[in-house]
Amino acid sequence: MIEKNPPLASYFTEPLWKNNQILIAILGICSALAVTTTLSTAITMGIAVSLVTGFSCYFVSLLRKVTPDNVRMIAQLAIISTLVIAVDQILRAYFFNISKTLSVFVGLIITNCIVMGRTESMAKNIPPVPAFLDGLSAGLGYAWVLILIAAIREFWGFGQLFGKQLIPLSWYATPEAPDRYQNLGLMVLAPAAFFIIGGFIWIANSINKPDKQAY
Amino acid sequence: MPEANPKAHNTSQILFFVVCLCFVCAFLLALAAFSLENPQQAAKEFDESKQMLIAAKILNHAGYFEILQEDGESLRARFDLSQKILVPDPNSPKATEAEIKEVASLRIHPLLTDSSGKVYTLEEKNITLTDYLAENKKAGYANLPLKLFYVLLPNDPSISEITEASIAKDLSKAYSIVVPVSGFGLWAPIYGYIALGPKGDSVIGTTWYEHGETPGLGANITEPWWQKQFFGKVIFQQNAGGKVDFKTTDMGIIVVKGKVRDVYGNSPKAKSAVDGMSGATLTGDGVTSAYRNSLTPYRKFLMELQEK
Repeated sequence: MIEKNPPLASYFTEPLWKNNQILIAILGICSALAVTTTLSTAITMGIAVSLVTGFSCYFVSLLRKVTPDNVRMIAQLAIISTLVIAVDQILRAYFFNISKTLSVFVGLIITNCIVMGRTESMAKNIPPVPAFLDGLSAGLGYAWVLILIAAIREFWGFGQLFGKQLIPLSWYATPEAPDRYQNLGLMVLAPAAFFIIGGFIWIANSINKPDKQAY
Repeated sequence: MPEANPKAHNTSQILFFVVCLCFVCAFLLALAAFSLENPQQAAKEFDESKQMLIAAKILNHAGYFEILQEDGESLRARFDLSQKILVPDPNSPKATEAEIKEVASLRIHPLLTDSSGKVYTLEEKNITLTDYLAENKKAGYANLPLKLFYVLLPNDPSISEITEASIAKDLSKAYSIVVPVSGFGLWAPIYGYIALGPKGDSVIGTTWYEHGETPGLGANITEPWWQKQFFGKVIFQQNAGGKVDFKTTDMGIIVVKGKVRDVYGNSPKAKSAVDGMSGATLTGDGVTSAYRNSLTPYRKFLMELQEK
């Protein structure tokens, strides 16, 4: 699965596309449904998850030689949640405005399966620095997919990008002219993200052409 | 895997590791919570008074002071230290934390009212504001025998000399009456303010300072573009003929599903309704009942303002 001594940079490049956590490993779907209605929330979540995954991987990797195998998951979860909550507390004291935007994400970050997926499959086997790079880039790989989905959903669901109206309001249907443009209401709801992610996974798989024997 | 595992430990080692890890994590969190308690509390209180100033259109969402004009437009303003008032200035810098605190302490004055509409100062009832706020936040201030509201004084240099006792006697000079609003959103309790005009009927603005709604959907209740609709709405809902029976009519602002003009058209009820947010109908319902349940107990008090 893992080569003996891959170059350091490959830890960073792999999870961006070839081993993308959403498209290939199908992890982190739940939060991808919740926070991709608008671009700004998707970007916030993407940055937060990248940092949390990076640092959690670093600390899990530091402790990898002393962590007993039987309780490794519990240990990982304890490290992840301690980190996230500690950061949230600091933000609440000194950066109240940022914490207000982020606080609703905190629960979503701790329970994001990507964080645990990377610590469990990578960080516990490799030294801290590559683990950090791997975690960071797993988060970034997650972020760009989220941002793409959010752009599609925000544009078709609200006619906006970054909260700026792109489709002129004068095009919209009114009671007097009901046959004009309407937002695609489905895009605002969670199932739309399912369809879009499904489409992305299809595209990613047909480009990567995974080994048939793997299935 | 089990036999050849170099990391196999015996039970006591595992227990030792887990206990150590838990202690370290618990210690870090306790340390963070303990050492940051005061700055957190201060940041929260500051944000609450800031939200109140935003609801009353004394501060805008971008962080600049503003002065509300008769026509509903706002002028950008700066805080004048010598006169202690806001003066119009189109190139004003962003309001600093110290200025916001100063304006808040000058203009915001908490008072109490009971179900018959009488007004008391907190001193009169031997109540300290921080204790009152902390103890009754969950239950909601509207349901108590002594209900909290805030009087916002006008932008006038003489206000620094007015005492709370004299404000309580004569509310006619108020710039705005702010009522704390609380209720349940889709996921969690929501807390906010609604700023009413001096007559206690028309709305100046509203804000939410604490909520747990979905980002991008229900969380839009904190967005300026959504809150903008509240200006000029009336909380005493009018009947089909455009008349109001203040004693019995329903109170609050209705968040409709879809657009107000599609739901109520030009009927007088549209004056008490705002557009909903797509994908956040349940948050909208929660907000509607929060306004109704938080404002109705103040009915007598708000009716007396009408008569002045």
